[in-house]
Amino acid sequence: MKKVLIVDDSVSMRQMVGFTLREGGFEVIEAEHGQDALDKLKGATVDLVITDLNMPVMDGITLIQNLRSQPAMKTKPILMLTTEGLAGKKEQGKAAGATGWIVKPFDPEKLLQTVAKVLP
Amino acid sequence: MTVPETLHEKLGRSAAEIASNGTPVTAGHPDVEAELARYLPQLGRMGEQLKQTSKQIEESVVGVCDSFQGIAARARATVARATGFIGNQGQSASGKQSFEGLIDTCSSTLVRIMNTTVEAGDISRRAIERIEDMNTASQQISDALSQLDQITNSNRMLAFNARIEAAHAGSAGMGFAVVAVELAAATVKSRSVTGQVGELAVNLRALAESTLQDLRRMNERDSERIEQSRQEVDASLRDLQAAHSEMVEMLNGITAEGALLATDIGSAVRGLQFQDRISQRIGHVIADLDALSTRLEMHVGNVAPGAAPADEGFSAYTMQEEREVAGLGEAEAAAGDVELF
Repeated sequence: MKKVLIVDDSVSMRQMVGFTLREGGFEVIEAEHGQDALDKLKGATVDLVITDLNMPVMDGITLIQNLRSQPAMKTKPILMLTTEGLAGKKEQGKAAGATGWIVKPFDPEKLLQTVAKVLP
Repeated sequence: MTVPETLHEKLGRSAAEIASNGTPVTAGHPDVEAELARYLPQLGRMGEQLKQTSKQIEESVVGVCDSFQGIAARARATVARATGFIGNQGQSASGKQSFEGLIDTCSSTLVRIMNTTVEAGDISRRAIERIEDMNTASQQISDALSQLDQITNSNRMLAFNARIEAAHAGSAGMGFAVVAVELAAATVKSRSVTGQVGELAVNLRALAESTLQDLRRMNERDSERIEQSRQEVDASLRDLQAAHSEMVEMLNGITAEGALLATDIGSAVRGLQFQDRISQRIGHVIADLDALSTRLEMHVGNVAPGAAPADEGFSAYTMQEEREVAGLGEAEAAAGDVELF
């Protein structure tokens, strides 16, 4: 079973994304912000990371930059899931190493299709 | 009469002044300072109200989402059970036979019972035919005995006449007389034996006749019962098949409902994300209120001018609607858009 890490400071968003992915047959782990995600990935591997952009402690862009510096996460897909839709922000995400950008609110079916596309 | 300036008007004028020379604009306006000092705590309370509201909405949405997860899990389990039940594999998850397999087994068993019963009827009919043959043979024996009886009578008359002739012959017919006497004795014995055999044949015929009657009655009754059973079995199998079809239809309906439910829950999940957007917008308003509060604190002297946020420190809006309200409209991706890099 593929494992997905969801990073979002909103409990309800983590719950909804987690629910959608579990229904799609994925194992899900959750983190409240970027630093929490890095802590949870110590000694653990995931197949995909879905992260929010604006979060306390460590935002999504910084998280991606950190993850891309780790050999284990260099090629793993990372999706941004955020309310932010500005082209400039997207460019920042792309430059940091994001695989894709999804603007909230997400459609559960579409999210699963996107996840299927980016997972090897 | 002079119309009193509102706080807003005073602050508006003062903002222009601070922009021109950087001096706290309330300086020399103790009434403005007093009003600011009075209303500033309200900003903090308003922010707290918004935070609590946001938290309550989030808790409600988390609860609703929990319920949806429960509904989805139960729907999934029901659909899985329905799908397993109507499967053609013959075995359900519990290892017991499926309903469809049960119908097949019942049908085969009933057909075997019917065939066995029909075979029993055939054997019974063949037994009747054989006993009828035996009855005919018994009649033929009686007929043969009757002819034998006539021969015996002829022999008896022959022996009687031989004795008369032997008497007429005198001493010359003595030996012939002995033969005539022996012939008469043999005739008596023969009559006795044919009588016994005839009696046995009659008894045998009577026995065969009564057995035939019993067998015919039984066969007739069995034929009726077999026909009745066949009709009952056919009707039962038709009923079972109809019940099975109805059940399959119902279970297919449940499966379809499950799929619709999954779609509905998907829509609900999308709809519930309004909370995240509201929560973020409230967060941004709270941040603006904090920035405003800090700037106003500067005017009443609680905060040094350098500590106050710059104008661009306000409104770190992330959503299109927010930017539009703030007059910062800019083309951006629509909600739900997906872009892979």
